[in-house]
Amino acid sequence: MSLEELAFLVLALVAVATALLALFVRELVHTILWIGVFFVDLSAIYFLIDAPFLGVLQLGVYAGAVTILLLFGIMVTRKRIFSREAITGIGALPAALAVATFVFLALVVGEFPGGEQAITSYNVTDLSQALFSQFGVYLLLLGLVMLGALAGAIYLVREGRE
Amino acid sequence: MDFWTELDQWALLVPLFPALAFVIIGSLGERLKRFEHGGWVAVVFAGVSMVLGFLIAIGEMLGPGTYVDVHTTWFTIPSSTGFPKGFSLVMGTLVDPISALMLIVVTLVGFVVMLYSIGYMHRDTGLPRYYAILSLFLTAMLGVVLADNLLMFFLFWELVGVCSYFLIGFYYAKPSAASAAKQAFIVTRVGDVLFLAGIFIYFSIYAAVDPNWAASGFLFTNGNSAFLNLGVGVNSNLLTLAGLFLLAGAAGKSAQFPLDSWLPDAMEGPTTVSALIHAATMVAAGVYLLVIGSLFLGFTSIDDFAIVAIGGFTTIWAASMACTHTDIKRVIAYSTVSQLGYMVLAVGAGFAMVGLFHLYTQAMFKALLFLAAGSVIHAVTTQDLFKMGGLRKKMRYTAFAFLAGAFALSGIPPFAGYWSKDDILSSLYGQLAIHPEYWPFYLMALATVFLTSYYIFRAYFLAFEGPTSREPGLADHAHESPWVMRVPMLILSGMAIVGGMFVFIPGFASLFDPALTSAAFPVTLPLNIPPSYPLIDIELSAISVVLAVLGILVAWRLWGNGRIAPLPKSQPARAMHHLLAERYYMKRAYDWIAATGAYSVARGADFVDRFVIDGTVRGFERTFAGLSQRMRKIQTGVVSDYAAYVIAGLIALFVIVLFVAPWLVSKLGGG
Amino acid sequence: MTTLSIDGFIGLSIALLAISIFGILTRRNFILLLISVEIGMNAAILNFLFFAAFPNRSPFFDGLQGQSIAIVLVGLAATEVAVGLAIVLALNRLKGTINVAEASSLRE
Repeated sequence: MSLEELAFLVLALVAVATALLALFVRELVHTILWIGVFFVDLSAIYFLIDAPFLGVLQLGVYAGAVTILLLFGIMVTRKRIFSREAITGIGALPAALAVATFVFLALVVGEFPGGEQAITSYNVTDLSQALFSQFGVYLLLLGLVMLGALAGAIYLVREGRE
Repeated sequence: MDFWTELDQWALLVPLFPALAFVIIGSLGERLKRFEHGGWVAVVFAGVSMVLGFLIAIGEMLGPGTYVDVHTTWFTIPSSTGFPKGFSLVMGTLVDPISALMLIVVTLVGFVVMLYSIGYMHRDTGLPRYYAILSLFLTAMLGVVLADNLLMFFLFWELVGVCSYFLIGFYYAKPSAASAAKQAFIVTRVGDVLFLAGIFIYFSIYAAVDPNWAASGFLFTNGNSAFLNLGVGVNSNLLTLAGLFLLAGAAGKSAQFPLDSWLPDAMEGPTTVSALIHAATMVAAGVYLLVIGSLFLGFTSIDDFAIVAIGGFTTIWAASMACTHTDIKRVIAYSTVSQLGYMVLAVGAGFAMVGLFHLYTQAMFKALLFLAAGSVIHAVTTQDLFKMGGLRKKMRYTAFAFLAGAFALSGIPPFAGYWSKDDILSSLYGQLAIHPEYWPFYLMALATVFLTSYYIFRAYFLAFEGPTSREPGLADHAHESPWVMRVPMLILSGMAIVGGMFVFIPGFASLFDPALTSAAFPVTLPLNIPPSYPLIDIELSAISVVLAVLGILVAWRLWGNGRIAPLPKSQPARAMHHLLAERYYMKRAYDWIAATGAYSVARGADFVDRFVIDGTVRGFERTFAGLSQRMRKIQTGVVSDYAAYVIAGLIALFVIVLFVAPWLVSKLGGG
Repeated sequence: MTTLSIDGFIGLSIALLAISIFGILTRRNFILLLISVEIGMNAAILNFLFFAAFPNRSPFFDGLQGQSIAIVLVGLAATEVAVGLAIVLALNRLKGTINVAEASSLRE
């Protein structure tokens, strides 16, 4: 087992663990902390597989902005920021569905040949050029979606609405 | 290319200007309030269109017999069975002598009626709708006139019918107006369906005879040779049928027997609409169709006899009904039907050009009569002749206009009607030696001369003569109409007095001679050009003039000077009067046919609908209602539950696509 | 040159997706719901990056396309959080709670 594989294993375990913790702790603020760790952990995985630009993006957007936004959401909707959340019981159907998804996807993916392989890495310059020429339409679509979302968000939160 | 020929290339502009007015008024609507709710826009555009139309007509007079066809091919059907060289659908304008004449009629009457409407319609509401549709009507009518093939002709023909429907039902809140509009639409539609069938038959016959004609889109300019090539006897049954269908279309539009009942009822619309559409232009389109049919398509001898019979019978049929009616507009409407009968008669007897001449004069004096009647209605707000009387002193212009129109209609020389009506009678008389079967219809037409002058002067005496009105106070409030209504009446009065004599101007007469150039008419048809006959048969003229004067004298004896003729005592005369007032029970007959025939069919359809179709539908409905009663439990309203359904569905889908489907395919032995 | 196990990569992605679905289905707190959706989003991004890293395993994408889509997805996730928070605020104002079980006016 190479050093990279070991690192990946550890990072993957941490990712799964923090994701589960985030969903199961009773304090909402603790949830945010765990999800923050989760994002940072994923960012490390991105660096590991030679996608540094995505890693930085993950740190900035997720670990930075999204976490703060979520925290902000909790802050404005609560009178006391630390209060325990009543955990709803684990329903039979949701648990079964989640397990079914995992088993099913694992089965499907198991059909494909596995094994170890060298990772292809990309030049950030090439990526940026591809993003603005070949795949420019994705950015345009994203911009449109963002514009619509912005309008929608403003509509939702504006004052005087019944 | 000189100016006049160049101008003919732009004939499209003539219908385009009213269309523009339609768009402007239709889209701006009440925002044009300062321009009489769009009225002045309509007048100006109709005026421009009239100037263009007159220029084109002048060009045609200067260069007699010019045929200018500008067209574009809409689409082409490649060669197939029945059309060896294919078939094109063509849209274009054809400027030829007869369409130039029609341009004069339509644009002149259209313009003066628009101008008149400014005054007449002033007090009504919904004026943008009125002016927009009237402009659209003008466009459609000019499209009919300028069409260069039968399909395009039919297209605009239908558009004209739609506009007529809208305008008859202008006072749509009045039930009688709404039902009259429907009646006009449905009755003319009976003719239109047959007309379309006739077009198809013509196309199939002529495509076999002259494939090139079909390939070029059956343009009128190339017409007639095919008919003449066909020779007599070949396919004549089918050709006769097509001609009869065409006649049915014309009879529907021109209100000929037995499709005549809609026109008198169409008087529910504004009087201006009656003047433009139901006197001068649209109803004349039926006659124009027959003229075109006889020039470019050809009728067989049986068709000719049918046309003569229908036209001849309609003259006396409608004229007799006009004698008893007391509604001033209905009297003139029956008169229109009767006069249209004359034109149809002339076309059937082989004198298409003579019929067209009468169309031209009739359009002028009939529009004039309607405008004068409208002026009276405007002043006294009733249409009942028995309430009017003594209006001449109050409304001098109107009385003069009505009198001019009445003289023209009666056929007193030198008024316009004399020249054309006498032309028809003498032309027909000339044919009697060859066609003795025309005798009864000739006699009917001759008798109608007497009836015509009787009923129109009855209306004149009742409305204008006598010391005062029969309904007290009616004449006291009467007043002369404003200038926008007087000017159109004066213009048309002028035309009613001297319009008939224009035919002695060689240039104008050339409009009635489409055979001048050989290109359009490979073989010259026996055409009778209008000014010839009345100069020859002085005796015949004398007979009809004497009959007309007799009619006037009888009318004076019975109704003149404020008299009211009592209903005759004798039983047969009373019965006759009743029959005429009931319009020969034709409307009742229509109702009876509809009630017994259509109602039993409807009962059958109702049974099928109620028990067979509804039963099936209800069965479905109960099944699904029961199912949905159970399904509604799923709707909890909680987002997470819906997400669960979505995910479960997705997984099920993937399982089916990835596992179940391949397994099934392999079981069934597929690849 | 880094070499990695393909199975582990895919396994991580699938596991995260399963956790995300579980969270979406069970949590009634809107913010937890949002967090669950974010976890699922990250699973998808990870998957795209996987295809970028092993381009010969993907019949549909070439390498740069995988990374480009991943970038777009990051932006999309941020947008989604913004809208989600707007909904949280609106819901809070309307019902006084952010429990999604309370927002059930769609019920028949």
